[in-house]
Amino acid sequence: AAPGSVPGRSNRSAVPGPSPVGGTGARLAAGPEMHFGFQTVTEEERREKIYQVFENVAKKYDVMNDSMTLGIHRVWKDILVHKMNPCPGTLLLDVAGGTGDIAFRFINYVRSVRQRQLQRKLKHHQNLSWQEIFESYQKDEFNSLGDSQVVVCDINREMLKVGKQKAEHLGYSEGLSWVLGNAEELPFDDDKFDVYTIAFGIRNVTRIDLALQEAYRVLKPGGRFLCLEFSHVSNPLLSRLYDLYSFQVIPVLGEVIAGDWRSYQYLVESIRQFPPQEELKVMIEDAGFFKVDYENLNFGIVAIHSGFKL
Amino acid sequence: QARRARGRRGGRQQQPGSASGSGSGSGLGSGSDSGSGSGSGSARPQPPEPSLLRFLVCPLSKRPLRYEEATNELINEELGIAYPIIDGIPNMVPEAARMTRQKAPAEGSERP
Repeated sequence: AAPGSVPGRSNRSAVPGPSPVGGTGARLAAGPEMHFGFQTVTEEERREKIYQVFENVAKKYDVMNDSMTLGIHRVWKDILVHKMNPCPGTLLLDVAGGTGDIAFRFINYVRSVRQRQLQRKLKHHQNLSWQEIFESYQKDEFNSLGDSQVVVCDINREMLKVGKQKAEHLGYSEGLSWVLGNAEELPFDDDKFDVYTIAFGIRNVTRIDLALQEAYRVLKPGGRFLCLEFSHVSNPLLSRLYDLYSFQVIPVLGEVIAGDWRSYQYLVESIRQFPPQEELKVMIEDAGFFKVDYENLNFGIVAIHSGFKL
Repeated sequence: QARRARGRRGGRQQQPGSASGSGSGSGLGSGSDSGSGSGSGSARPQPPEPSLLRFLVCPLSKRPLRYEEATNELINEELGIAYPIIDGIPNMVPEAARMTRQKAPAEGSERP
């Protein structure tokens, strides 16, 4: 990316938190500075370090999610898909969707909506011809998803591998595809998708403004942008408890379960560095989205931002 | 074991349409490997889902790509670059692309 051009960058350097430590002399030549958790690194280093983090944790990603959030992450993801409320025929792009959690939920959701659709159709038929009765027994196998499709895009090969294996293991194949791609430079054409989701991924994107612009580009007019991400807790008491849990418990869990406390240290630090709800809302609006709104879950530990391309 | 591996490979190549390799009727006992995913990795080309090919474009120029079955790559003729497909997953990052021509494409002017 061309250095020093985009306003989005200056937004992020104004994020509250520990200010970048000195030693800029040697680093200036290599590029603009950014944060990796609480460290200061160049853009290139940040991308590499983040890639490494997810390469290391990929296999234990789901287990760690369950332990760190005591399984609550499942509820958050369920809420995201319920908020999406997709109807059969929806085309979803799930970015940074690595292990497939959102994609699988999406498929389950449209499948059950489709089921109910078909059942209602059958119930309303008073006089079925033999032909129709015969067809209803065909089990409608080729349209159980109603032509819905989800494309999972992630930049990390290891995460995609885990996701693909999970899909095979759980029996998801129809309407699901996997692509290795960069959220800042999506390999998709304009105006293609009905919904774009990024769950717990945008925090790890180096140029959030570019990712938001790409999201806008690939969505159809009328399409919806949904972002599920850790955010800021405003309640001071809760904030202290949350910090305590984050910095004392999570890295330890990371070491015990995944053998990697450093990656989880990065994770909790990156949550603190990420823009709070209002700031992210402004960034989303800057990318061109309308009706941008957010919903706090668990007092702001997590927030769902939503916007529309009109 | 060697026979098993050969059977698996044969099954996959005979069914270009099924990226997840459900291995039916290849006659070499590969019916059991539907859950094994992309274990042994190297020279077994898994073509991408046909529906996916409809959406994919070059991330740099956003222009359509051509699927080349021989090398299992997605080729952007204009820029002369080819994106590999590894384990059935298209690798759509410019860093992974291979140049199909000798001279370098004008990358700087292509970026939006």
